[in-house]
Amino acid sequence: MTQDIAIFKAISAKMGYLDARHKVLAQNIANADTPDYRAKDLTKVDFGSVLKDITSGERLHVNLNTTQNGHIPDPNNIEEGEVKKRKMTYEVAPAGNAVILEEEIIKANQNTMDYNTMTNLYTKHLSMMRTAIGRQG
Amino acid sequence: MDNLFGSMTISAYGMRAQSERIRMISENVANSESAAGAPGEDPYKRKRITFKNELDRQYGIDLVKVDKITDKTNKPFPVKFMPDHPGADAKGYVTMPNVNPIIEMADFREAQRSYEANLGMIEQSRGMMQRTIDILRS
Repeated sequence: MTQDIAIFKAISAKMGYLDARHKVLAQNIANADTPDYRAKDLTKVDFGSVLKDITSGERLHVNLNTTQNGHIPDPNNIEEGEVKKRKMTYEVAPAGNAVILEEEIIKANQNTMDYNTMTNLYTKHLSMMRTAIGRQG
Repeated sequence: MDNLFGSMTISAYGMRAQSERIRMISENVANSESAAGAPGEDPYKRKRITFKNELDRQYGIDLVKVDKITDKTNKPFPVKFMPDHPGADAKGYVTMPNVNPIIEMADFREAQRSYEANLGMIEQSRGMMQRTIDILRS
């Protein structure tokens, strides 16, 4: 039900993005000693414009499912980050590995903090709604 | 949440690879005095580990796995003068393993750091899952 409300939809989209980014960062840390491994990251998604699109009501809130490769993706789908190899790295180890553990850990921490912000926002909005329907949030 | 489970799997595989590395390092340290048993024989050879990336089709993610453990070396072994040792040659020298405990310790620290980083990642994934489930409780 809450999926139909714009703000919740936007928050869920951001949570999905952070979730996917966490996976990529975990992969980087696990491969911190693999030869020739280059750190990856998700491309940034402008969630401000996602939220604007959703709240302006221009997007349909019904999504088409793509079940086969030939299907055209739904233009109303929320954009997802793309996994790309990181170009800027401080150093590359002699074995060709370009993962800097500290950098990845800081990124993972930021990611977790963002995620916590999103879950907090989600609960705050839920309690606001509860107040609106007459129960004490 | 599927991605979070995936990231926990990745970190778990990372920890497994690092613990295998630690096992191999302790093997090297334990055998750092295993000299040749008879003249002309090779002493214990230092083992080295390499990692590789492997795509897991179930999750669609790159997992880290142990590629191979090798003890190949083309450098001569260090020798020690011990004439009464059963492995001593005619001049009284015994070939010793090519293990340098200092290098092993440095390697061990590195493995430990990577292991801890993976552990931290698992804890973060777990925290994120917990926060998501907490939405239900509020």
